[in-house]
Amino acid sequence: MEAFATFLLNFVYVSAILALVALGLAMVFGLLGVMNMAHGEFVMLGAYSAYVVQTAQISFFWAIPLAIFVSAIFGFLIEWSVIRHLYNRAFDTLLATWGLAILIRKGVEVVFTRDYKSVNQVVPGTVELFGVNYPAYRLILISIIICIFVVLLLWYQRSKVGLRVRAMVQNPGLAAAIGIDIAILSRVTFVIGVSTAGLAGALLAPLVRVEPYIGLDYLLSSFFILVVGGLGSIEGLLIGSTIIGGTDAVISTIFDKTAGYMSVLIISILFLWLRPDGIFYRR
Amino acid sequence: MAFSIVVKLSLLSLLIAFPFVTNSYSAYQLGLYLLYGIVGQGIALCWGKGGFLPLGQALFFGIGAYISGLMLQNDVGWGLVIVTLSLSIVIPFLLAGVVGVLVFNRQIGSGPYFSLITLALALVGFQLANSQVWLTGGFNGLTGINGLPNIDSFGSLYFVIVGALVLTTIILSKIMGSPFGLLLEAVRENEERLQFLGNNTSWIKAAAFAISGGIAGLAGAFFAPHQGIVTPQVLGFILSAELVIWTAVGGRFGLLGPVIGVVLIGFLASGLRDAFVYWEVIVAFVFILVVLRLPGGIGAIGVHLSRKIGLNFHSYGEISERSRSVPEVDKIITRELKFEEVTITRGSVVILDKLSFKIEGLGIQCLIGPNGAGKTSALNALTGKLEVDSGEISWCGGSLNNVRPFQTLSLGIGRKFQVPSIFPNLTIRQNIDLSLWVNRLKRNQLLSMVPYTWKSDLLEKLEEVFPFISDKSLIAGSLSVGERQMLDFTMTVLSEPSLVLLDEPCAGLSKAETETMIKAIADLSKSSKSMFIIVEHDMQVVELLSDNVLVMHQGKLIAQGSLAEIRSNKDVQRVYAGGTK
Repeated sequence: MEAFATFLLNFVYVSAILALVALGLAMVFGLLGVMNMAHGEFVMLGAYSAYVVQTAQISFFWAIPLAIFVSAIFGFLIEWSVIRHLYNRAFDTLLATWGLAILIRKGVEVVFTRDYKSVNQVVPGTVELFGVNYPAYRLILISIIICIFVVLLLWYQRSKVGLRVRAMVQNPGLAAAIGIDIAILSRVTFVIGVSTAGLAGALLAPLVRVEPYIGLDYLLSSFFILVVGGLGSIEGLLIGSTIIGGTDAVISTIFDKTAGYMSVLIISILFLWLRPDGIFYRR
Repeated sequence: MAFSIVVKLSLLSLLIAFPFVTNSYSAYQLGLYLLYGIVGQGIALCWGKGGFLPLGQALFFGIGAYISGLMLQNDVGWGLVIVTLSLSIVIPFLLAGVVGVLVFNRQIGSGPYFSLITLALALVGFQLANSQVWLTGGFNGLTGINGLPNIDSFGSLYFVIVGALVLTTIILSKIMGSPFGLLLEAVRENEERLQFLGNNTSWIKAAAFAISGGIAGLAGAFFAPHQGIVTPQVLGFILSAELVIWTAVGGRFGLLGPVIGVVLIGFLASGLRDAFVYWEVIVAFVFILVVLRLPGGIGAIGVHLSRKIGLNFHSYGEISERSRSVPEVDKIITRELKFEEVTITRGSVVILDKLSFKIEGLGIQCLIGPNGAGKTSALNALTGKLEVDSGEISWCGGSLNNVRPFQTLSLGIGRKFQVPSIFPNLTIRQNIDLSLWVNRLKRNQLLSMVPYTWKSDLLEKLEEVFPFISDKSLIAGSLSVGERQMLDFTMTVLSEPSLVLLDEPCAGLSKAETETMIKAIADLSKSSKSMFIIVEHDMQVVELLSDNVLVMHQGKLIAQGSLAEIRSNKDVQRVYAGGTK
C-alpha cells in the first residue's frame, strides 16, 4: 500500500513537471507554429538563474523572478531579432532556433564552464501524506504547477488578450484586419511561452545537475509529449505528460534509464506512424 | 566538359597533392575532415534536395565506426574487411530506411517531427554506446583497433579516404541527376502535388534518408581504423549538430559544399578552438546568419561567382532530347463513378450530406453549385484527401473510401487543384518530365537517364496549344497565373488518366486564355478515352463544355441532367435565385 502510494505520488510529480516543461513548447508550437529548438535552453537558463541566486547567497525565492526575467529578456531578443521574420517559414524557424540553441549553450559554457553545478535543496524534509513520507519540495512543486496551469488557462479563456490570441491563431489575416496587432501578440505569446520554460528550470534546479547541455532532454521530452498528446489543447498536454512520464518512470524502474528513454522514443515513433495528430485531436 | 566537372577534377588533384606539399599530420587531419564531409554529402541529399533535415546523422556514422572497430580489433584480411565495410553501409542504411518509412508515412512537408526523432535517435545511440559495455566498451570505447591490412593509418589511408570521397561524390551526383533525384527535389518543392502525380512520397524520402545513412556508415567504417579508437562521442548529438552546421555553412545544395564546409571550419577550429574561447559561439552565430541570409552557404557564393565570370555551373548536365515514345499506360475500359450516401462531417459542420450520384461513360461532367455546396470536398473525398465518415465511393467497382492520394493515379484518376499547383523552383521541362513519368516510370528506371528522353503524342499536341510549355530552361515559378493553370492542366492530363478531375480550370484566366483552355479541354475529351469532371462557376465554360451537369447544394445533389434540363429545374432556379430550400 505504501509502495503504491509512493509510486502514485511519484507518477503525479513526474507528470506535473513534464507538463510544466512542455507547456511553453506547446504554446509556441501550438499557437505560433514555431518549433522552438531552443526551448530546452530556456529551461537551462532558468536553472542557471537559480545557481546564480545561490552563488549570490540570497534567498532561493529570488530565483523565480530572476529566471522569468532572464528568459523573458532572451525570448524578447530572439523573437525580435530572428523569429518575427520567419513566422510563415516553419522550417527556417526550426533551423534558426537550432542555431540559437547552440549559441546559448556555447555562451553559457563560456561563462559558467562545462562543469556540473548543484543547487542546494531549499525545502528539505518530508511531509506525511497517504501514509508515506514524501519530500516536501516535490509537493510544493506539484501545487505550484497546478496553480500555474489554472492561472494560464483562465488567462487564455477569460482575458481579452487570450481572446485576441485565439482569434490570431484561427485566422491571422482577419485578426489583423479587425485591428489586432498580431506582431505584438505573437511576441507576447512567445515571451510568455519561454518564460514558463525558464520558470520550470528554476523550480527544477535543486533536483537536477545543472550544466549547459541539460536543455536537450527537456526539448525532446516536451516534443514527445506534443506528439503523443496532440497540439492545441490543455487536455492533450496533460494526457501526453502522464503517458510519457509514466512510461519513462515504469520502464526506467524495471530496466534502466536507457530502456525508459528508448520506450518513450518508440512510443512517439509509433504515434507519428499510426496516429500523427496525437490522442487528443479534435477535428 | 561541364564546368562543374572541371572544378571537381581540380579539387581532386589538390587533394591528391596535399600530403606532398604539406606535412603528414595535416593530411591525417584532412582525412578525418573528408570523412565528416562524406556524411555531410548525405545530409545535403536529404536537406538540400529533399528539404527534410536529419539532425542525428552521427548515429549512422557511429554505427559504421563501431561495426568496423569491433571487426578490426582482430587481425583480419581484406576479405573480412570488405564484409565489414558492407555491413557498415547496410545496417545504417536499413535502420534509416525503417525510421524514414515509419515517420514519413503520414507526415507531409519538412515539419519538425522527423528532425526531432532523428535527434532523439542519436541520443539513444549515445546512451546505448555508454551503457552496453560488453559490446561497445562503454565510456572508454573500443580501443586497440588495427589499421586496414597493409595500409598505414597515418599515410596511405588518406588516399583510400579520398577514393571513398570520389566514390560517394560520383554515386550521389548520379543519384541527384537521375529521375529519383528529380522526384526528391519535387518532394521539397510541392509534396502534395507529387502525391497527386501518383508518387508515394514517404518512400522517396525514406529512400533518400536510407542512402544518407548508408553513406554515413561508410565514412564511419573508415573512421575506426583512422583514429584507432571509437568512443560514444562518434554517435552523439554534438557531432550530429556540428555535421549540420558544416553542411549548412559549406552549402547544402551541392556535393562539394559540405566537404568544403567541414574542411574550412575544421582547420580553422583546430587552430582557434583552444586559443579563443568564443570560437564555438562564433561558429553558431555564423550558422544562424547562413540560415537567415545565405541558405546556399559558401557553395552558393561559388556558383554565383562562376556565373559572374561567365561560366555556367550546371548540376544536371545537358538537357536530353525527347526521342523515345513513352510506354503505354493501361486504360480502364468501363468508367463508372458512384457516390452512395456519402456523408462527411467535421465538428458541427456537415460537408457532404448523404451525397449520391452515378456517372458513367466518356464525356464531360460539369459539377456546379453555389459556394460551400461541397463540390471541391466531393473531389477531396474521391481522391483520399478527406476521410469519408459513412457511405461509399466506388470507381469501376472498387471502393475509394480508404484510398490515399498517391494511389489514385494508379487507379486512373488525375486531379488538378483550383489554385494551380506546380513545382515552382524546377524548370517547366522538369515539371513536364515528372508528369510524363506518372504510372510509367518503373522502379528499375529510377536511376536510368532514359525517362528524360521520353516523348508522347499528347505532349506534342499540347505544345501546339500552349507553346510556352516546350521551353527547356525557364523556371516554372516565373510563369503568370494563367500559364501556371495551363501547365498544371498539362501535367494532370499527360499521364492520360481515365478520370480527369479539374477544379475550376479557368479560374484567374483572361478571356483569351479561357478560350484557349476551353478548346484544349474540348479537343482532349474528344480524342482521349477519358471521363472528365469539371467543377466550374463560369456558366460560359459549362455551356461550351458540358455533356452532362450535376448540381450540388449544401452537401447534397439536387439535380443531374443536360444543361437544358438543369435550366428548367425548379430547385436549381430556387438555389441560384437565392431562395432557401
